[in-house]
Amino acid sequence: MGLGLALLAGLLSGCTGDPGESAKETIRFTFSKREAIGFMTKLVADYNASQDETEVVLDTSGVDVVSASFVRGNPPDIALANYNMETSRFVQRGALSDLSGTEAASRVREDLRPLMEQYGSYPGRTSALPYSVMASSVIYNKEIFAANNIAVPTTWSELIAACEALEAAGVTPFYATWKDDWTIAQGWFDYSVGGQVDTLDFFKKLDAEGVDVGPESSVSFQKDFDQPVRKMLTLAKSYVNKDAASRAYGDGNLAFSQGKAAMYLQGPWAFSEIAKTAPDLKLGTFPLPMTEDPNDLRVRVNVDLAAWIPEASKHKDAARGFLEYLYRPEVIDAYNKSQLGFTPTKETANVPDPRIEGMVEYYENGKVYQGPSVLVPRTIPIMNYTQAIVFGAPPASTLRTLDADWARLAFRQ
Amino acid sequence: MTNQLMTKKSSSKVERVNWPATTVLVLCAVTVLLPLYVTVSMAFKTQGQAVDGNAFSFPAPFSLEGFVQAWTLTNFPVGAAMSLLVTAGTVLATIILAAFASYAIVRNWERRLFRYSFFYLLGAMFIPFPVVALPQIQLTGRLGLDNPFGVILLATMFQLSFSVLLFTAFLRSIPMELEESARIDGATTWQTFWKLIFPLLAPMSATVGIFAFLYAWNDFMMPSLIISDPAMQTLPVRQNLFQTQFSNNYHVSFASYLMAMAPAIVAYLFTQRWVMAGVTQGAVKG
Repeated sequence: MGLGLALLAGLLSGCTGDPGESAKETIRFTFSKREAIGFMTKLVADYNASQDETEVVLDTSGVDVVSASFVRGNPPDIALANYNMETSRFVQRGALSDLSGTEAASRVREDLRPLMEQYGSYPGRTSALPYSVMASSVIYNKEIFAANNIAVPTTWSELIAACEALEAAGVTPFYATWKDDWTIAQGWFDYSVGGQVDTLDFFKKLDAEGVDVGPESSVSFQKDFDQPVRKMLTLAKSYVNKDAASRAYGDGNLAFSQGKAAMYLQGPWAFSEIAKTAPDLKLGTFPLPMTEDPNDLRVRVNVDLAAWIPEASKHKDAARGFLEYLYRPEVIDAYNKSQLGFTPTKETANVPDPRIEGMVEYYENGKVYQGPSVLVPRTIPIMNYTQAIVFGAPPASTLRTLDADWARLAFRQ
Repeated sequence: MTNQLMTKKSSSKVERVNWPATTVLVLCAVTVLLPLYVTVSMAFKTQGQAVDGNAFSFPAPFSLEGFVQAWTLTNFPVGAAMSLLVTAGTVLATIILAAFASYAIVRNWERRLFRYSFFYLLGAMFIPFPVVALPQIQLTGRLGLDNPFGVILLATMFQLSFSVLLFTAFLRSIPMELEESARIDGATTWQTFWKLIFPLLAPMSATVGIFAFLYAWNDFMMPSLIISDPAMQTLPVRQNLFQTQFSNNYHVSFASYLMAMAPAIVAYLFTQRWVMAGVTQGAVKG
């Protein structure tokens, strides 16, 4: 205990001390993406050394802590965090300050704005700026494809033909990890739906329908998602590993790295996991074709990191200074390169990693969508629903339940 | 004491093993030892070996990489110091306050105020922290208690009800006559408590202390929500970093858990006999 108190005393004096050294303004920067903490620590150190007005302190304590700090009234001064339904609550209630005047905002690609606003917005404000976009689609093992003379499929029938050819050669076409429900929602469900349905338009209409969502409404899950979900089941029933139901995400990464299947429905985050056991495996990506028209091909994106500055921060100007630094082309490019992400600014000098090359043209042409599973509020257990469908629940009634849930939630709000 | 009896018994009746009971006990031991083995071996593996799907394999090559990373990522010395501060504070405050309260309540049981205050204290057992988290975050923030001291205060409060329950039960078994003799010798209430009652409560204090220790050392939610300065965060909160949806870092996490578990195991090893003593002593006297 003596040791503990001594350490504490040292720490406290470290926090409050050094008044004479300089009058640097200290800002707290929240960032909790585990894989990139090393990168960010260095970035922050570089920034602190490059100027003598602001001292950035990196806070990696996570999302729950940030919510608590908003309740308490001392939120971080700036954050780079996953942009999702949870963050959008802060946006919709006006807890985040307007960033529209910043240089960083002017560099962000215009066509990404609808994706950000899909989660909600606050009138007259640009509350958050995308920093890193993750594109995900089918990961495929290039060696297996080449060994079986299979080209990347661009239509549904080509995909089925590829699966048949792989099966005939004794290769499992898809490795599925259905024990983790999020892998079904993120990959199987989102790719299938996003490859056929215009989710931007669908959710806009669904919002407008609100309490009326049901069999009679202009759009509904039971009507618009029925076809994609059935196609998903076609793939899920015939072309996956036999033990899919008991495999988790970690097992999938290992099995795929060992070449146990040709395709894997995961995002770029899986690459670094696969590389842990197979660093030299040749992998590529292509959007899951769901129709007979190659023009319909699109990739799923999510705003992995968005930058925001809370309204309640007392150091907004200093935080903006750091924001501009984060958005310097060389800084934002370096970050996204290190994480296999896409840079959301208009000009980027990034040469994509060969593993994500297959998605570049879709991303650059704006042929992207956000997964329906993340656009449904967390109150509705959509991940469990998708898991139920894959495990044999009738899709029609499950989608009806989804409609009913949506209408009920709209009624309550 | 029980151990000695057991060995005597078994040595007198030579070579008669109760196989069914032994099997059951061995199985029970395995459920504890196997995960512990995986934890230890995993902590010494390299990244590649940690995710290769063979949890039971022996670490080869033997690697300290996990420990090094866990040490720096959690800033282990500071985190451990904070955890220690919070835990020590909670244990001390819980033992002393609960003993005070229980003594007052038991000796004044016939008065309504004391009886009701006992029920009031027990009532806190029915309120889990998450239910009152939001107002408490705001309250501690406004009072400048959004630091380890706020956590000590709240953790003590939540530990109080169960501890008071334990202490009051134990206090009732201490005969009034002991106290009367001290009174006759001229002791004040304060002196009676410190010189007579509190030493007698020692076995129960150990029990209460251990419960408070385990709670405060392992608690994640309360420190994560109450402490606002990340530099003052406790170990479990710092370790939360290792659990993400998208990546597995078993070797780092297990190394870190091992380092965090060590004090709890050591504390338990040293205080275990007092817990046993407390349980048996109470039973004999009752």
